[in-house]
Amino acid sequence: MAGTATMLYAHPQAHPRRDACLDWLQMITGACLVIFMWCHMLLVSSVLVGPALMDAIAWFFEATYLVQAGGPVIFVCFLAHFILAARKIPFTAGDQEIAWTHARMLRHRDTWLWMVQMVTAMFILVMGAIHMWVVLNDLPITAERSAARVASGGWLWFYFILLPLAELHVSVGAYRIGVKWGFISRQNRPKAKRIELCMFVVFMVIGVGTLLVFNHMATVLSAGRGV
Amino acid sequence: MGRNIHFEIFRYNPQDTASIPRMQTYFLEETINMTLFIALTRLREEQDPSLVFDFCCRAGICGSCAMVINGRPGLACQTQIKNMPGHISLHPLPVFKIIGDLSVDTGVWFREMYRKTESWIHTRAEVDPTLEEARMDNAVAEEIYELERCIECGCCIAACGTANLRPDFMGAAALNRIARFMIDPRDERSEREYFDIIGTDFGIFGCMGLLACEDVCPKQLPLQDQLGFLRRKMGFAALRQIFKTSRPA
Repeated sequence: MAGTATMLYAHPQAHPRRDACLDWLQMITGACLVIFMWCHMLLVSSVLVGPALMDAIAWFFEATYLVQAGGPVIFVCFLAHFILAARKIPFTAGDQEIAWTHARMLRHRDTWLWMVQMVTAMFILVMGAIHMWVVLNDLPITAERSAARVASGGWLWFYFILLPLAELHVSVGAYRIGVKWGFISRQNRPKAKRIELCMFVVFMVIGVGTLLVFNHMATVLSAGRGV
Repeated sequence: MGRNIHFEIFRYNPQDTASIPRMQTYFLEETINMTLFIALTRLREEQDPSLVFDFCCRAGICGSCAMVINGRPGLACQTQIKNMPGHISLHPLPVFKIIGDLSVDTGVWFREMYRKTESWIHTRAEVDPTLEEARMDNAVAEEIYELERCIECGCCIAACGTANLRPDFMGAAALNRIARFMIDPRDERSEREYFDIIGTDFGIFGCMGLLACEDVCPKQLPLQDQLGFLRRKMGFAALRQIFKTSRPA
């Protein structure tokens, strides 16, 4: 408000509840994506138990058309969440400078975590879209196909980059929803921070394990075929 | 023999066209029970009478000596030098208008905040000054007092990512003020009237939940809990309004 505080601000709004509605939608799309990501992790990490289990779960989702219908819905949700959250992202060079200077000055964990959300969002927008396009164009989902993709070209590295970015964004995002809507209070915030960190570590371990199993599976399968 | 503390202090006089913002170095020997306020006073008295900073109560009550201390907004009078490293950098609070060096004008900002939040009891009740004041439930009075403890130092605003990016974001001090009137049974403002003040991105929906306000508040006001409370309350108020207006008359 430096220098302008004596001015009267008028913010005419076509719809007085616009910002409230957009905030609700940002939270709801975010929460849906968090829940989706946890379910997604359950599906792909089921390969750690055995490829047959993953195939069975994938078959269930496809037989019930949850993939065919849900895939595009998640994609829309993903784009909508980006647009809604982008209302708060400083996009201009000047605003970027303010945000980074502020974060460096304050050395405050939750402020830095917001910078993490902002940066990971940009990568996830591109890489997540690529991932969804590739998977939804190669249905049905099976352990064998997933293994073949992970092991081909540079896909293993692609996923080794996307995985931590997505897991960071998801765990920080879940924590942020809790803080903003008051589920996380002053009293339970230290505990919530620990849960956030644990969630990230656990999902990273499962995620890396899953990628390595896929990669190993592909090697075994191609050796079995004598390729 | 105390440590020789290395101070790096932001210097700038906006009224002097020749003045260029810069960091100036000072050294001062630490003494027992030295606060940053005492150190600054000594620097001004013994080394540089041109050094500008605000102070008044030197006891964490007036909120005048708020500044950025090693990157964090805080009160100079509450900062014990013995808890600080040997190198201390000082900047004025961002967001507010600079008066000179470490001094900023929080007064104009807070005056504007009173105007925006209409920071007074809205009531149609006639008050008879000859009668004893109406009694209030003790628990409610305590709850109001807890939020009323704000000393308007401006630390929460300076630490807020949103306030730094959006000059007209209301910030935790204003939102806390609204929460204070919401729980006051004497204030007759309706949910709709409160919504009109803070139900936008300049109010509660602009808050990104970074919680720097909560973490720097020198009075440890429960800002996080107030922000969560207001977002839920205003979020549901919006839904109620939507369903009300969409119902056929």
